[in-house]
Amino acid sequence: MGAERPAVADQGALFRRLRWRMFRNGLRVALQNGRVRLFTMLGTSAFVAAFTFAVSLYLFNELAANKIPFKGAIVEALFDLLFFTLGTMLIFSTGIILYASLFTSPEARFLLCSPARADHIFATKFQAAVAFSSWGFVILGVPIFVGYGLISGVPWYFYALLPLYLLGYVLLPGSVSAAGCLLLVRYMPRNRRQFFLLVGLAVTAGTLFWGYRIAVSFKNSVATNGRELEDLIGQFALLRSGAAPSHWMTRGVMAAARGDLAGALVPLAQVWSNGLLLFLVAAWVAKRVYRTAYDRLSAFGRAKKVYGTSPLDRLMGSLVWYLDRRTRVLVIKDFRTFRRDPTQWVVLALFGGLMLFGASNFRQYYAADLGIMDKHAISLTNLSGTAILLCAGLSRFVFPLISLEGRKFWILGLTPVSRDQILRGKFAFAATGSLLISEGLILVSDALLVVPWQGLLLHAVTVAVIALGLSALNVGLGAYLPNFRETDPSKIVVGFGGTVNMVVGLAFLVAVIGTMVVPFHVAQLAKGATGGAAHVNPWVYAGVPVGLVIGVLAVVLPLRAGAKSLRDMEF
Amino acid sequence: MIDIRNVTKLYGPKVAVQDLTLHVPAGELFAFLGPNGAGKTTTIKMLCGLLFPTTGSVSVGGFDVRAQGDHARALVSYVPDQPFLYEKLTGREFLQFTADLYAMPPARAGAKIEEVIELFHLDEFVDDLTECYSHGMRQRTVFAAALVHEPKLLIADEPTVGLDPKSIRELKTLLRKLAGEGVTIFLSTHTLDIAQELADRIGILDRGRLLGCGTMTDLRKQANRDGNLEDLFMQITEEAAVEAAPATV
Repeated sequence: MGAERPAVADQGALFRRLRWRMFRNGLRVALQNGRVRLFTMLGTSAFVAAFTFAVSLYLFNELAANKIPFKGAIVEALFDLLFFTLGTMLIFSTGIILYASLFTSPEARFLLCSPARADHIFATKFQAAVAFSSWGFVILGVPIFVGYGLISGVPWYFYALLPLYLLGYVLLPGSVSAAGCLLLVRYMPRNRRQFFLLVGLAVTAGTLFWGYRIAVSFKNSVATNGRELEDLIGQFALLRSGAAPSHWMTRGVMAAARGDLAGALVPLAQVWSNGLLLFLVAAWVAKRVYRTAYDRLSAFGRAKKVYGTSPLDRLMGSLVWYLDRRTRVLVIKDFRTFRRDPTQWVVLALFGGLMLFGASNFRQYYAADLGIMDKHAISLTNLSGTAILLCAGLSRFVFPLISLEGRKFWILGLTPVSRDQILRGKFAFAATGSLLISEGLILVSDALLVVPWQGLLLHAVTVAVIALGLSALNVGLGAYLPNFRETDPSKIVVGFGGTVNMVVGLAFLVAVIGTMVVPFHVAQLAKGATGGAAHVNPWVYAGVPVGLVIGVLAVVLPLRAGAKSLRDMEF
Repeated sequence: MIDIRNVTKLYGPKVAVQDLTLHVPAGELFAFLGPNGAGKTTTIKMLCGLLFPTTGSVSVGGFDVRAQGDHARALVSYVPDQPFLYEKLTGREFLQFTADLYAMPPARAGAKIEEVIELFHLDEFVDDLTECYSHGMRQRTVFAAALVHEPKLLIADEPTVGLDPKSIRELKTLLRKLAGEGVTIFLSTHTLDIAQELADRIGILDRGRLLGCGTMTDLRKQANRDGNLEDLFMQITEEAAVEAAPATV
């Protein structure tokens, strides 16, 4: 029995046809039913690209106009860092998306039960994951290089080679991430908790050590007015070595910019050949381990754990004491979901730790006579960093909350809680957490930097406006632009609604920080530059009421629109 | 067609299936019964090649599911309790994709697609995107896709969920007809009257162990009583629970 072997399909062509059909049908639906959404998404992407282009053009122009020494080396170092950072981000984002699509999606289960070959399933999912995670890379990367090209007067083939470089480069981190994801799932030790704890500790220790080295070099560089810049650049030696793909990219792009076509093509071939080789390795790994990894992941089982109430839940409840009891219950439900998922808070904890570590370091340098200018620059950077982190964190975790309720919304719908209360509860949850985290970070880091009390107060008020405004934007837009079809929150975030939310959030940050705190710090920097002689005009606070009005609008308008949308929604 | 030998499947410390041995010949309609968490879906997933046994072996049509999985899966169709369809394909495109995936010759695929469209009354909506389908429409489309490539083994997990009475009646007739044509049907269900009405043999699984397996007559003999399948199922599972109780103390 079974001697007759079934026919085998050309699965590569089959999956290509499948992708093409889904793209074609999706585009048709978008053009027929969601033209406004489609064009808003394209417009938003174009806006981000144009903004990046304008900033890049300005900065490269400044670099060229001011005849800064070693500008070639500075640009090269910046490109190295840019490619390395984007590559690292691609490793994580592709890995997360691939994990979800290979191991938890219904499609993977469907295909694994069919005669589809493991490497073909992998290849099709890989392409989708890389495309999904690298669109930001293209939207941010291309304008920067076009800006550089225009200022530097590069030959035409610089622009022609650019897409080839970027497309080839995404294969490298994507393939590494894919192979890593598969091998991790396949060979992960049984004791996952300890394993991740150890890996997390090792990564944190490495990052802290590297951060410390950079901080020391930065301090020396500043203290010697740039004479020890080499030491600071030396901290990035690994990224600039001949073995680093980010440096191949930099070498190639710079060679193309110089008009050295042969010098540009060799690194391009290096990027593509290594990228394709790594993709083949990843596909081979998939062929060998994907099915067993899927089986192993399913067979891990879960240790029986009794979940009970925690003092943290009671604390959360008492922080939102002003809400009625039913809404408080909803807030505690959201908080419980948040705290039981470490992926939700570990990045926040890591960033907070790094920021306080940096602030405490600068405090020591301040004692060693670093100028008041540095203190203001660093505290403004801390505030901006916290605001951006809050924007990213809320976009990732709060914006999808309403969408994720989607298919089970009827449960909430049948409870004696109005939809307005549901929205208020989500806002209270987001605002409470954001306020606590951001105020805590800013006040402690400002205290460590010994920022004057006016600055400290200004930062506290600004951060409160940002936390409340961003919370309302995320909750309100989450209800106004929900995506009930998607169950993967990372895909909700990078979808249409998520992109609009992110762009609006960033614009809000620029507006609030620009009006409320930037004038104050610029005045302080000017005062520092003139040795304290300049008078700090009280008009530097004139932007504060403007920022407060922007904050009120950011709270009221999205929540009102979101509440109306939620009330009118049918499930 | 199905040959399960001494299969045990562990989920961490939990035993999902314990030393299961089961043979289902070609053309038999076999119903797999058991309470929630009995191990039915795990067994089905091992038959489809989605999971592998911790110990023991599973083969379908003579192909070992682990070592010759591609060949084994080419013979199998699986209809899960939660049907999957590509949202941005039409029903017809999904049927075509399935036929292509199983390497059907184009002419044969075309004829078979038209046949299943008629069989499951899909013609009214088969050219709409599946994202617009109701649960019943999805279930019928998934069944059509499962049969389009003429499988040798059809595995269905709770196949009647979401279907209207007329569709259930038609499905029951179809399943019997397929078994008559030599297709092996492996049915997992909680609906005991469907199992009693349709199945040639019935297997009762509880806590990963096969408590009973055979025709209604065999099961009555094992339970040492007359009655319908519900009575027999209750008695067999309760007796097993009583036997297992002292061991867990």
